[in-house]
This record gives sequence, C-alpha cells and structure tokens, in this order.
Amino acid sequence: MIKEIFKENDFSVRWVIALKEEAEIIITQFKMSLLSQTSVFPIFKNFDGSHWLILSGIGRHNAAAATLYLYEKSNAPRWTSWINIGIAGCGKGNYGDLCLVDKIINNSNSEKTYPDTMKRSILTRMELLTTDFPITDYNSKELIDMEGSAFYDMASKIASRELIGLFKVISDGPSNDIKKLNKSNISDLIKSNISNINTVISYYELLSLREKKIINKPELFFEISNQWHFTVSQKHQLDSLVRRINTFGIKKDIKCLLKDCKNSKSVISVLNKQIESHEVEWGRF
Amino acid sequence: MGKVLIETIYIEKKIKDHPRTKSILSKFKKARHIEIDRYGEVFNKRNQNFRIQKSNPALILAHKNDGFVLPAPEGFGIGASKNYYFSHMYNCIYDCRYCFLQGMYSSANYVVFVNFEDFDNEIQKIIKLNYNTKITFFSGYDCDSLALENVTGFAKHIIPLFKKHSEVDIEFRTKSIQINPFSSITPQENFIIAYSLMPDLISKSLDNKTPSILKRINAMSLLASKGWKIGLRFDPLIHGKNWKCLYEELIDIVFKSIPRESIHSVSFGPLRFPKQMFKDIFKLYPDEPLFSGPLSRNKGIVSYNNEIEEEMTFFCQTLTAKYINESQIFKCLA
Repeated sequence: MIKEIFKENDFSVRWVIALKEEAEIIITQFKMSLLSQTSVFPIFKNFDGSHWLILSGIGRHNAAAATLYLYEKSNAPRWTSWINIGIAGCGKGNYGDLCLVDKIINNSNSEKTYPDTMKRSILTRMELLTTDFPITDYNSKELIDMEGSAFYDMASKIASRELIGLFKVISDGPSNDIKKLNKSNISDLIKSNISNINTVISYYELLSLREKKIINKPELFFEISNQWHFTVSQKHQLDSLVRRINTFGIKKDIKCLLKDCKNSKSVISVLNKQIESHEVEWGRF
Repeated sequence: MGKVLIETIYIEKKIKDHPRTKSILSKFKKARHIEIDRYGEVFNKRNQNFRIQKSNPALILAHKNDGFVLPAPEGFGIGASKNYYFSHMYNCIYDCRYCFLQGMYSSANYVVFVNFEDFDNEIQKIIKLNYNTKITFFSGYDCDSLALENVTGFAKHIIPLFKKHSEVDIEFRTKSIQINPFSSITPQENFIIAYSLMPDLISKSLDNKTPSILKRINAMSLLASKGWKIGLRFDPLIHGKNWKCLYEELIDIVFKSIPRESIHSVSFGPLRFPKQMFKDIFKLYPDEPLFSGPLSRNKGIVSYNNEIEEEMTFFCQTLTAKYINESQIFKCLA
C-alpha cells in the first residue's frame, strides 16, 4: 500500500453514496481509487487521503452501517466533513436540480431532524422524506430518498452537525416516471451537477480545514511532550498552556525558557509562571 | 443596528399564526421557513458546533412555557433588595469573547419567544408579591436587551408596563445604539439604560460585531440629553498592558460626555468563568488573546487572581468616585 502523505493543512471529507452510478463522477473528479476488493462495502480514497468515499447500497440500514464502517476504516478525524449525495424523487422542483436538505423526516417513525446547510448558497433547500420503500405518490412531498435520515443520524453521532451535508438531485416526480431511471441517466444527473457539487464541496473542505486548525494541537506541544514524560492529565494542561502562550510567545523563546527543566512538572510550572506574569498587549490584536 | 442576515427561520407550530411571528417573518422576506414542534429540537441538539453556527445563526421563533422571570444571580444588582431578570431571547447578535453565552448553550442560533404577554403577567405577579419591597428587574440577561429590537420589538412592548409600575426599577442592559424605543417617549425615573463598556483598544479586540465604544458613549449621551437615567457597566474588567491608562481614559471620556446627574449607577464586574464554561469557551477559541492573560483556576472559577481583581476594581472605583457619589457605585460579582 502507498505510504500515506498528509499535508500540513489537509482537510478531511467522507462521502457516503448509495449507488455506483451516483458516485462515478465524484470518484473520477477527486481521483479516488478502490481501496480493497474484499471490504464489506466498497471504499475509495484519493492519493492524500483527504477524500474517502463508500458505496453503501440502497436503504437506511446500509446507509447507517456504511457511514460507521467508513468512519472506522478511514480513521476519520474530528474535523471531517460528511457528505451524502444521491438522486431523489420530488413532488416539486425541477428535474435535474441539485438541492440542499435542511429537514429530514424518517417515514418509519416520523422523527424529524434539521441538518444545517451551506451558507449563502443559491441552491434550493428542501425537506427530505426517507422511506424504506419507493414512493411514487409525490403529492405534497418535497424530496424522497431511502438513505438520508439514517446517514444523518449516524453522521451526527460522529461529527458536528455543521460538518454534515446532504444533497439530492431530483431524478423523478409527477412528470418524470421513476421507471425510466436507469444506470446511464442516474450517472448523467450527477454529472450535470458536478460544477455545483464542486462549489458545495469547497465549502465543506474549508470548514474542515478551519476546524482542523483549531482542534489540532500546536506543533510546540509535540516538541515539548516528546522531550519530557507527561501524564495524561499533564498533557491536557500542557496543551492548554501552550495554546495560551502561543498567542503571545515566540516559540524559540519558550524553548529557551524550558531548556533547564528537569521534568514535566517543572515545564508546567515555568509555563504557568509565563502566563501569570503576562500582560496582554491589546493594541496588537 | 446593522442588517441582521437570517437565512433560516425555524418556527414552532404552536406560534406559527401568532401576530408577532408574522410580524417578525415579514422582516426577513428571503429567509427559508422551517416548521418545528419545539425549539429544543434544533436548539438543544448535541454535537452542534457553536463557532461555525455563530458565523451565520438561524432564528428560532418559539413559545416559552415557564421561567419567564427568574431571581437574578447573587451579586448581580444595583442596590435593590430583590433582583429579577427576564429574557425574551436566548443568544446575542454580538460575539464578545468574554461573554458567558458562548459556553451557555450548545447552539449559537437566536431563540426569540413571541409570547411577550406571559412575561407581562409574570412580572406583574412578582411586583404584586413584593409590594413595599424595592426591586429591580433586568432585561436581557441571556441576550442583549436592545440589539435585536428592530426585529422583536420587545422593549417597545414592555415599556408601558414599567411606566405603569414606577415603584420598581427596570434596567435594559445593552451595547446597542438602537435607542428608538426610548427616543419617542417621556423619560421615566425608574428606567435605567445601562451600557457595557471597556476601553476602546480592548473592545476592538473582544467586542465583535458590536457598536464601537465611542458610538455607545454617543448613544448614552443622547439618551441622557433627553432625560433618561444611564447605567455604566464596566463589566468585565479586562486586564492587560497599560490597563490603568486605558481605564482612566475611558472613565474620563464617559464622564465628560454624560452629565453626572444623568448617571443612575456605575458597576464594576471582574472577569469570571465557571471552570467548565471556561473549558468550553477555550475549546472554541484557543487562540483568543483574552485567554493568554493571567487567568487561573481557583475554587472552580477561572479568573484573574485576587490581587489583580482587587487592584482593578479599586482603581476604577476610585476614579469614578471623583465624579459621582459612592452610593451609586456597585461591584457586580455574578
């Protein structure tokens, strides 16, 4: 297997898609390749591991299981954006339109959830009904699919809700018979939206990147914790102190201050003293 | 108030036809409306990212069932024997880095309760119960009293009630320069329009999305010129390089701009966070300069040490005492 090369500022995106035809263009666009022929669900990833994609198959159970499976297999970090994209029936809207989902109703128990959506988007926002069987009575319904609610329920257990996005392309409705759907036109429906999909994904990549910058421990933390032995609780203290000192201190100076420290306790004590005597220079910020 | 951008409005089914709901909705013509059963379905969900939400919060219109008026926390007050607060809204359009609201709710979305009349009833009950007791009500503990006034109209609604009950005091605490509700009525002796203040240099770094200190001073000055009583709230006191000069300058400019007879009271509050709240806020903004200051933990509270707290309070109190009577100066410890 190719050794992973993670860039300093890598974002992290995970795609959960039901059908191969829906995923094809995304796999191509993000230059992903199949990871293993033998995994429970087919998983694809790109060269630097920033994009991973799983083919869940149809239905709620598959979507939930695949989301969790991808989370574990890809070792998804906390700053990962989770994306579900696919076709959906729709009682209104235009055939082929890409829509953002901001409300989901699980048809089996009528439970409702409210996903956050990309800000300042020109894409139409709609409600999604997730059912366990195909529905052709589109009357008074917005989007209809068979995976959305389960994907969201699982993804929101492992990621911040703001990092989860559901997007549906309208594939059938009162004037577009579901029976006319085939592999080729499913693939075409997603392909025709690739530009919008790229815009949406850029938004989620950026969110992920920003989260990573905040969540990730500073470099100085690792440099210090590698030099002395810290207990778990001391590591928490060290993380907090280093972040606070990082705002005003120069790395070189901090390392210089610590050079005579004999153990972790004295490191923490020196850093604490730095904070205690620090006067914030408000004009600098 | 600048234009508040709202893309999504969640509306509780129960109040979707309420006239106030309709009025608020009419102010956001482009927003998407999503019907919900209870505001908690959106507001109280786990795994929300406050920081991301804060960049573009949604509005939630809801019905409040209970807890309309609550006793103010101990140490919060300006001389009355009993203090109560009420909040028609949760969260704030401003984004002040020291604000406890950052660690209070898991969501940054704004909740506005539209059943104002229930607040009226509860306030009246408390006034009746406390007949012959000096009480002060505080509007806007879980939000800014006036920042979203253009949208909610809450101050405008509640003013007549307190005009009628001149035996109790009402404080509207704010950073907003949205003073319309007060500019068209006769000043009332029992009303205090209180402004949160800190040196401009510090405010520029910590008070995000708020009117500048100068604008706040101008608004106070205008209100004072019309005859309204002003509260000065130096809360929290923020430490940093040259803090004495910065506070001296601020206090000087404030008292030069507002006649002392217009000042109802001045209060000083130390910067304090309960331990868990600090942890939550620090997690949200670990690079925040405020947290690089000399804050330490003592008995479950994260604050500047006693020496700094005392020195800052004493210094500011002494300066203020040059301008007003000491009986008008309070320490806020909540």
